[in-house]
Amino acid sequence: MTDPLVIETADLLKSYEGVEAVRGLNLQVPAGSICGFLGRNGAGKTTTIKILLGMVRPTRGIARVLGLPADAPDASLEIRRRTGFVSEEKDLLDTMGVDEILRFTASFSPRWRTDLEKRFLQAFELPADRKVKSLSRGMRTKLALLLALCRGADLLILDEPTSGLDPAMNEEVLKILVGHVAREGITVFFSSHQIAEVDQIADHVAIIHDGRIARAGALDDLRESFRRIQVVFPGDAPETTFRAPGVERTWRKGRVVTVLSSAGAEQIVDEAREMGPTSVDVTPVTLKEIFLESVTGEG
Amino acid sequence: MLWSKAWRETRWRFLIGFALLMCSAAVTVLGYPRLVELMKVMPNTDTGGELGRQIRESIELARDYRGYVWSQWFLKTMSQQWVLFAALLGAGGLLARSAGSGTLFMLSLPVSRRRIVGIRAATGLVELLALALVPSLLLPLLSPAIGHTYGLGDALIHGSCLFVAGSVFFSLSFLLSTVFHDVWRPWLIVLGGAGVLSLLEQVSPGFSRHGLSRVMGAESYFRGGGLPWLGLIVSAGVSVAALYAATRNIERRDF
Repeated sequence: MTDPLVIETADLLKSYEGVEAVRGLNLQVPAGSICGFLGRNGAGKTTTIKILLGMVRPTRGIARVLGLPADAPDASLEIRRRTGFVSEEKDLLDTMGVDEILRFTASFSPRWRTDLEKRFLQAFELPADRKVKSLSRGMRTKLALLLALCRGADLLILDEPTSGLDPAMNEEVLKILVGHVAREGITVFFSSHQIAEVDQIADHVAIIHDGRIARAGALDDLRESFRRIQVVFPGDAPETTFRAPGVERTWRKGRVVTVLSSAGAEQIVDEAREMGPTSVDVTPVTLKEIFLESVTGEG
Repeated sequence: MLWSKAWRETRWRFLIGFALLMCSAAVTVLGYPRLVELMKVMPNTDTGGELGRQIRESIELARDYRGYVWSQWFLKTMSQQWVLFAALLGAGGLLARSAGSGTLFMLSLPVSRRRIVGIRAATGLVELLALALVPSLLLPLLSPAIGHTYGLGDALIHGSCLFVAGSVFFSLSFLLSTVFHDVWRPWLIVLGGAGVLSLLEQVSPGFSRHGLSRVMGAESYFRGGGLPWLGLIVSAGVSVAALYAATRNIERRDF
């Protein structure tokens, strides 16, 4: 049985004065997953997240979060009651102190976790009496994350949660996030253009390009299905086209033909062997290569 | 908690306005004896035209303490300073893109946009009411200090009329704040509008008779007639319409 979907969009489209930011997006995020939402700048990540949270209304299509329609005002309230969010800008209420913003956010969250609040305040070394506007970028990120985590949410939506953090703090934040998810069993949907970060913590990935999902699925499945096949011939490589399914790209250079496949290597290897090569090597492909292939065709 | 957030956002504007108007109220009352002295030595003004008429009218009103308070405080000081702060308190809100405004943070909380806007508007209106009434109530309290009396009822009625009619400036600024992303443009546009209105009322007696200033100053009540009900109802209607339009704008827009 497949996991129920926490986020589901179908043919989602958003256009701003004729410019399409999201165009026919079909996204599925299973319950309990940590789904990395990868894409280049301007690919439509933030617009998609805003649609899911009811901040932006879709022009067309369906967006459902926790089984509720994201564009219906009452349902959107319920979605936000059960969702923690961290914006890319770590947008917070600067006029408040850390303690005040905690109380403020808790007052809207029926499932506020005071145990987590105490734990994360200590772990993040956040000074309760400091003004939010006087916090450093790193501290601000930690506070934004703390506010999202303590809401007792079923779903965390994080827009570039670690942007602007130094590597040590980045690592610390990711560790805390993964630890929390493992303990609480919640779903995390986070956008990023840091592939290493997605590779490190995600179990699912959705790659968005030009407002559409270019590639999506369980990260292990993607890694398993993508292969690079290098075929070396005794003389110049023949001009040939592989008929096997899943051939994404083929390069020819001198005696070598390299094939990038998204459907395993077996059939391509069989085909290659019929051409009389001196060697056929199959190597795994990194997430970075999958991403680049999906968004630029240069994996 | 939304009330406290709205208060935080506007408190400095309110407190500065409050301090300024309280000082102005004190100066208005305490300056009367000096004006009386000046009027005794002032030569007769025979300037013609609209300006002369206005000067003569001011002098006539100032001969009586009630007339002086009405013309100096409710017609001049409040119609300028209070309107300035009414427009300023209406500016800003959810759309203001100042650093740390927390727009996305607020929109991610389980609270409707209507409620956020409604509480912001209500907070501004309560502050505006305080700015209209409290400094005005200082007049009857301070007047005995210079040997005069000013009716508490007069202060309350004039302050209330000022609030109801002048809320138009707050509401228009509030509405413009759902269009512009900064605090200053709504404020300046409304102040510009108020300036044009005031100019029209000064140069055109016909316009002046039905003008907003007359309603804000409750001139009919001062001159012994009733309250300017029609003007008050129309002003309140415009304010409600502007606030409704502002709420709809925020509910419909993308962030």
